Amino acid sequence: MTLLEIKGLSAGYGPLRVLHDLDMTLESGERVGLVGLNGHGKSTLLQAIVGLTGWQSGSILLDGNEIGGRRMHGAGRTTPKIVRKGVALAPQGDAIFPGLTVRQNLDSGAFSARAWRERRKRREGILEIFPPLAKLLDQSVGTLSGGERRMVSLGRAFMGDPRIFLVDEPSLGLAPIISRAVIEALGKIDIGDGAMIIAEQDLGLIHGRVDRMLGMHAGELKQDIGDALMVGHPEQAPTLASEIEL
Amino acid sequence: MDWFVVTSALSLAAMYGLLGIGISLTWSSIGMLNLAHGFTFAAAGYGAWWASKNLVKAPTSGTDALIVGGAGILIGVIGGLCVGLIAFLPLHDRPNFPIRSLIATLAISLAGTQVFLLWFGPLNKPLPKVFSPVARALDRPKLEFGPISITWDRVGAIVCATLLCVIVLTWVRLSRRGIQMRAMMQNPEGAALVGVSVRSTGMLVMGICGGMAGLSAVLLSSTFFVSPSAGTQPLAKGLVIALLGGLGSVPGAVIASVLVGFTEALTAKYFGTGYTLFAQYVLVFGVLIVRPRGIGGLLAQVRE
Repeated sequence: MTLLEIKGLSAGYGPLRVLHDLDMTLESGERVGLVGLNGHGKSTLLQAIVGLTGWQSGSILLDGNEIGGRRMHGAGRTTPKIVRKGVALAPQGDAIFPGLTVRQNLDSGAFSARAWRERRKRREGILEIFPPLAKLLDQSVGTLSGGERRMVSLGRAFMGDPRIFLVDEPSLGLAPIISRAVIEALGKIDIGDGAMIIAEQDLGLIHGRVDRMLGMHAGELKQDIGDALMVGHPEQAPTLASEIEL
Repeated sequence: MDWFVVTSALSLAAMYGLLGIGISLTWSSIGMLNLAHGFTFAAAGYGAWWASKNLVKAPTSGTDALIVGGAGILIGVIGGLCVGLIAFLPLHDRPNFPIRSLIATLAISLAGTQVFLLWFGPLNKPLPKVFSPVARALDRPKLEFGPISITWDRVGAIVCATLLCVIVLTWVRLSRRGIQMRAMMQNPEGAALVGVSVRSTGMLVMGICGGMAGLSAVLLSSTFFVSPSAGTQPLAKGLVIALLGGLGSVPGAVIASVLVGFTEALTAKYFGTGYTLFAQYVLVFGVLIVRPRGIGGLLAQVRE
């Protein structure tokens, strides 16, 4: 079943156009890796899906309902509505609330009445995925390390029962050993009949942990690169996006 | 122990606290320093006065007192929403929103004073004493308890304001909406990503803070006449408390209002009323020099 269908999506900031007429579909139950160099539009694509870019045009269908369309200004004005429809983004830079405790940060993700009632149970589920957070629950998030902040940001996105889970550069700024732990934890998250898109520069990290990979270059999506490059020759798999000929 | 000083300090603290918390909450959730808070206060005062003239016959009974109080709070909520409609909704996603909204709320405050002057004239309007039905029902003009003797208006003001402060504090700390409100200021993008609409939550905050200003206008009825510029002094006191407590910190504002209330009552008693404002600002400067972020304020780098 098709969960997300994007057609002719262009988006950018002010006079800058980052995405150029982009098409993609996301099936339910799949994990997709979005790979490409810095500045080629991975983050912008994820942000456009939740309406956080400066402007956008083109169609984004979630379960057949339009959540995209033409939008000229007001970055983030439609975001709460889209999020409430079940699209969660763990953004670059985490966008956590530094003055709140870990517990309150996680609880803030439980935005629907049902999620709020079940917040204890859900919090526990997240602590199972990210055990280091368990003893930090009452600590202010501003005092945490980069890896712990990333876990809070990812956990918060998962509190509200998203069907589409967008993760933007989960390894960014983390020590290799910690980013591996974070990626592994992401693999443990049960997406059910939802879907997950992970944008990542480090191919080696997500290799084998996603169902297919999409290459992104200069604001356009390239063909499915995962099969061509990796099936049969995992040991030769390129580890950096810069090594792929796009 | 001079109980009169203590009780008057507490009742002052209660009223100022309601205003200061409103200003602090608005700042901490939508990042707007609301200079039109005094306008909302005066509007609520006029609302209560109008209700006492047109809806109620003297001497006021219990239900009449509720009507007058309710009218004050209702007009306060409406006033807060109007300020939000003019200064928050059209401006909040423009660059430099804090300065723009500061100017917009200042404009509302100045224009509002002139509108009141045109509609109601320059004369002071007295408000009915909303707690006098209690005195009549108990057949006692004052609450007497050992050495303490307080008028019912003062008791009512202290009790109502404390109750409301406790409710708002708990609500902000524990409820879903409360967490969302604090989240909004700390990271608007993050708030949008957890389904918080800045616009509707911001208007909710404006409504609540307006209602609190309305309640404090009603509670001040024993000492307060409504006039076009009636909001100026409460606004100044509210700002002082919000700054002293650390802009954005509700618990800080509560502590600051008690401090300011006691300073005011003590200076009035020992040095004369002429020195109260002077002493207040000395207190504020003293605290802000030692602790520039205020009593309960977050550090600037934590907020971003």
